[in-house]
Amino acid sequence: MKKRALALAMAVLMTATLSACGSSKPGTAATTAAPAETTTAAESKGDTSKKTDSSTGYEIALVTDLGTIDDKSFNQGAWEGLKKYAEEKGISYKYYQPQEGTTDSYLETIGLAVEGGAKLVVCPGFLFEEPVFLAQDQYKDVHFILLDGEPHNADYSEKRIEKNVMPILFQEDEPGFLAGYAAVKDGNTKLGFLGGMAVPAVVRFGYGFAEGADYAAKELGIDNIEIMYNYTGAFAATPEAQSMAASWFQNGTQAIFGCGGAVGNSVMAAAEEKGGKMIGVDVDQSFESPSVITSAMKQLSVSVYDGVKAHFDDKFPGGKTSIFSAKNDGIGLPMDTSKFTKFTKEDYDKIYKELKDGKVTLVQPSQDNNNPTVDLKLEKTTIKFVE
Amino acid sequence: MNVVYFIFQQTMYFMIPLMIVALGAMFSERSGIINIALEGIMTMGAFTGVLFLSLTGGNFSGQGQLLIAAVISMATGMVFSLFHAYASINMKSDQVISGTALNMFAPAFAIFVARVIQGVQQVPFSNTFRIVSVPVLGKIPFLGPLLFQNAYITTYIGIAIFVLSYVVLYKTRFGLRLRSCGEHPQAADAAGINVYRMQYAGVLISGALGGLGGLVFVVPTSTNFNADVAGYGFLALAVLIFGQWKPVNIMFASLFFGLMKAVASAYSGIPFLHDLGIPSYFYKMVPYIITLIVLIFTSRNSQAPKAEGIPYDKGQR
Repeated sequence: MKKRALALAMAVLMTATLSACGSSKPGTAATTAAPAETTTAAESKGDTSKKTDSSTGYEIALVTDLGTIDDKSFNQGAWEGLKKYAEEKGISYKYYQPQEGTTDSYLETIGLAVEGGAKLVVCPGFLFEEPVFLAQDQYKDVHFILLDGEPHNADYSEKRIEKNVMPILFQEDEPGFLAGYAAVKDGNTKLGFLGGMAVPAVVRFGYGFAEGADYAAKELGIDNIEIMYNYTGAFAATPEAQSMAASWFQNGTQAIFGCGGAVGNSVMAAAEEKGGKMIGVDVDQSFESPSVITSAMKQLSVSVYDGVKAHFDDKFPGGKTSIFSAKNDGIGLPMDTSKFTKFTKEDYDKIYKELKDGKVTLVQPSQDNNNPTVDLKLEKTTIKFVE
Repeated sequence: MNVVYFIFQQTMYFMIPLMIVALGAMFSERSGIINIALEGIMTMGAFTGVLFLSLTGGNFSGQGQLLIAAVISMATGMVFSLFHAYASINMKSDQVISGTALNMFAPAFAIFVARVIQGVQQVPFSNTFRIVSVPVLGKIPFLGPLLFQNAYITTYIGIAIFVLSYVVLYKTRFGLRLRSCGEHPQAADAAGINVYRMQYAGVLISGALGGLGGLVFVVPTSTNFNADVAGYGFLALAVLIFGQWKPVNIMFASLFFGLMKAVASAYSGIPFLHDLGIPSYFYKMVPYIITLIVLIFTSRNSQAPKAEGIPYDKGQR
């Protein structure tokens, strides 16, 4: 009896672990599916709940991916850009959260947004590549902004961007480059890169970071730059991530680029403990910890703001991919809040201009590879790739 | 030598929360109630504790703040575990199911309340609790850097809890009664022990320690709390089983898990281990493989409380 109970406990424990992994998602989805329903309910009754314009529903909509609108990254950046424009012009807006992270669920939620009166749907994250590929034909009158991806079908055999889709890609290697360059110029020689999952954006950040460090080393004429390099495989703050960062700091690493959502928080905790420095990602993270010296930013909200604006100005750049890079000021470091000792605004403007003018060429990750020691040919820098 | 100190200090960050939570689970299971709600209890305890740190952040800091947060976490854990106690003791429900329900409820609740209070789900806090070196004790050669530098006051609380657990379980009347309820509640009842009260006590202690464990888990490892304790509640159950429901064994089991976890995540920063070229997967696997082996060898005479998981029914013979 007791053994059976134990066996049962272990079995349920395993399923519970699994469901615990997914529990936060359905949990939050359930709460947000409710407002989505109230939209349609309000629609049919002609009710005025919260919306500013009850006759046409919510004109701009954002469908979140796995994150939430306060994830301090993608969804939040996109949401802020959308909100800013909408509030300036008094346009109604709303966000929808899919029940689960599948193409069907995303597509269904997009449908819900369109039904709710959306003329423009913002889809942040490369997980939306397939849903948008299907939605672009299904809702020809609706405009889509797709962040970090380009629409394609399930097996990548067909790639097509219709006139009603505006895919936005970022050159993540460029802000990574700037961060690496600045870190070395500021006097650091031992750096670290602690990424989240090895998704394309994270890999590009990492490659750029290493190349930036190498570039600065060449300028300064030093050749002993060392970079510890690891993908933690998750976007969560864990004692494991903290320990790894702490061990690097312990071993002499001066600054770590925490590139993967909450992984950065673990790096900050380690940096505070060991008196190290931390480099943030995506948005300006300087307010999160005193250890943050700068952040490799993507101007997410700016890009979405521009896209939404173009939609309302009837200049929607659909049909082709918009790339945000140094060329259109779509990336950068927040020099106002950065805590550099030697690296100045002039230095920053100079390297930014070089990047802008295309004087620096950055290597792109090759297919199916995320190991920088394979792709990059660095002269002054050694990368210790930690599997 | 520095490396040894460093690894040991890191081990503490893994070990102390695991040990506190596993000891809590021990009290519950020795009274006959399986408590797999630990993950949820940790989440709730960490949530209220960190929320307190966050709300009082600007004008209050240091050890006093952490201690009050610890008390709040423990109280939250106790209140939360009451649900489990009521369902499994009074209502005689399946203990695994009620525990699972609490596990699913906790993160959703933490996210919801955090959103209502402050708009975002992450609860930030500033860590002002690290003790760089304990006065006098930190200067002792070898032991000083090992135990009294770069530490948190919660580490010592954890050690105190360990000693206390041992004494309470084996040296007090309460401990004996608690254990008897987990082995043979009918006999305990016949001897005049209030089984329900003992089981309530067991679950409440596990709630208090689980809540505290949640806070101890989060403070050194992040700068905010995001409704997640990364499965450490379940890991604590593994530690409990590995430790065969005995305090001293649990302490060693958590030390072992903590050490392996620390080595697995920190080895890349230690030149000696990095040069060995053993992939980190190996270190990550070891504690689980050894747990499996231990379970295989001990399954014949497992020390699990005999009446564990069976709702106590007075009328049953």
